[in-house]
Amino acid sequence: MSIKLQDVNYIYGIGTGQEIHALKNINLEINNGEFIGLAGHTGSGKSTLVQLLNGLMRASSGVIYYNGQNIYDKLYNMHSLRSKVGLVFQYPEHQLFETTVINDVQFGPKNLGLPQLEMELRSFQALKMVGIGDELLDVSPFTLSGGQKRRVAIAGILAMQPEVLVLDEPVAGLDPAGRDEILGLLKKLHSENNITIILVSHSMDDIAKYVNRMLVMNKGEIVLDGNPAKVFQFEKELERIGLGIPQAVKVCHQLREAGAYITGEPITAEDCAEAIYQWLKV
Amino acid sequence: MLRDITIGQYYASESVIHRLDPRVKVVATFVYIISLFCFDQLSGYIIAALFFGCMVKLSKVPFKFITRGIKPIIFMLIFTAALNLLWTSGEHILIKAGFITITVEGVKKMVFMALRLIFLIIGSSLMTLTTTPNQLTDAIESLFKPLNKVKVPVHEIAMMMSIALRFIPILVEETDKIMKAQMARGADFESGNIIQRVKNMVPIFIPLFVSAARRASDLALAMDARCYHGGEGRTKMKPLKYKKPDIIAYLVMFGYICIIITAGKFLPI
Repeated sequence: MSIKLQDVNYIYGIGTGQEIHALKNINLEINNGEFIGLAGHTGSGKSTLVQLLNGLMRASSGVIYYNGQNIYDKLYNMHSLRSKVGLVFQYPEHQLFETTVINDVQFGPKNLGLPQLEMELRSFQALKMVGIGDELLDVSPFTLSGGQKRRVAIAGILAMQPEVLVLDEPVAGLDPAGRDEILGLLKKLHSENNITIILVSHSMDDIAKYVNRMLVMNKGEIVLDGNPAKVFQFEKELERIGLGIPQAVKVCHQLREAGAYITGEPITAEDCAEAIYQWLKV
Repeated sequence: MLRDITIGQYYASESVIHRLDPRVKVVATFVYIISLFCFDQLSGYIIAALFFGCMVKLSKVPFKFITRGIKPIIFMLIFTAALNLLWTSGEHILIKAGFITITVEGVKKMVFMALRLIFLIIGSSLMTLTTTPNQLTDAIESLFKPLNKVKVPVHEIAMMMSIALRFIPILVEETDKIMKAQMARGADFESGNIIQRVKNMVPIFIPLFVSAARRASDLALAMDARCYHGGEGRTKMKPLKYKKPDIIAYLVMFGYICIIITAGKFLPI
């Protein structure tokens, strides 16, 4: 069970004379159960890449395999792919349209053609997962707060019970509490429901804490691929492409350069603090 | 998908025509269209075609961009041509079959009418190809300024036009995004009968209207915050000013209309 991209290229505006080569020869394998952070500067091709994964856009060249099947095959059911690879867009709250929260969440399952009972069950479960209480089920989604709207929108995708969940900047514009809530939810989904998650973000701090594999994109290419500790070794390269590394990791790196004895490869702020404490104690 | 739609049809290039004051281009196009109705013989069409050819050459716009404007009106063109062909009475009858009578005069009228329509369309195409939509609104505001005297809010109308133009690409992009987001939730916009398809559009239109209203209210607030109060006493960052080439262009247009009128009066064919 995996997604595999082979020599994938994507070019915007073919034939207009203003072609933009958004993805260049991407080769990538995403395994089941991974929690991937996809980082890159604005315009690096992140959003284009994720839209290829569920077939919303078609690669200009190259092949994508989902569970070993070529999704560009004529007989391949694109509709079912979209239910298996759930994609949450940037600012997903802008896609809400129904009269009540529960109806909006049911839109996805309804399109899958599920029976009424199953549809409702999945929607209730999804709303519960994202922490929307029963008292909000029958209110208009347009009256909710920004953070609530976003959680409802994410529930709309979760109710389709995807095997892979792709989120494009899910915490953009949220306050720290809202951010931790959503990222915490993703972690829970990953560990408890065993969903493969691909988290797109340009905030290294957000990604570092949660993911177990990082992909860094620059100008349409994947330049770094590995676990966060390994990727953060390339501090210079990351800074050159305008990303940098989390503040806490940077402090550790600089202390080590100055001769401090810091063990391991701490990633999160807490781990870094612990590592520095250990060094100070000795 | 929707991203490929271009609004207006401005063709960026560096040419004398592009650099002309937009007011000159609006007036010249208007004069050119009027001139098309000042003659009714072959020589007039030749002069109009030659003049237009020179302008196209000067504008450096590829010819295929200019003829592209004809495509959407092709049906109307055929319809008008057919009407003229069948309903023109005359002495020299070419074909007579049942109630259909085709006369030499009819053929002549059909050809001329079609030519006139084509010139009309490609003439105004040349203007929109060489003038950005914003320049056009500027020109319209400036040309209609005298109407202020009779309480027509010219500035406000021009402002509304430029805001509308500015928002088209934004809303197109937004529609594209919402469509994709709903497709990611399994929505299907391509199958079903017409009623089903219209129903399927609801998940696109509601978010789109909500977002348009939100953007409009944001913009209104931002304009308010900058103390926008309409046209009175307002100056421009790039005021329109006639320069030497603009004067020459006006003279050329004047010369052209004189030639067309004289030709219409004195040339027999």
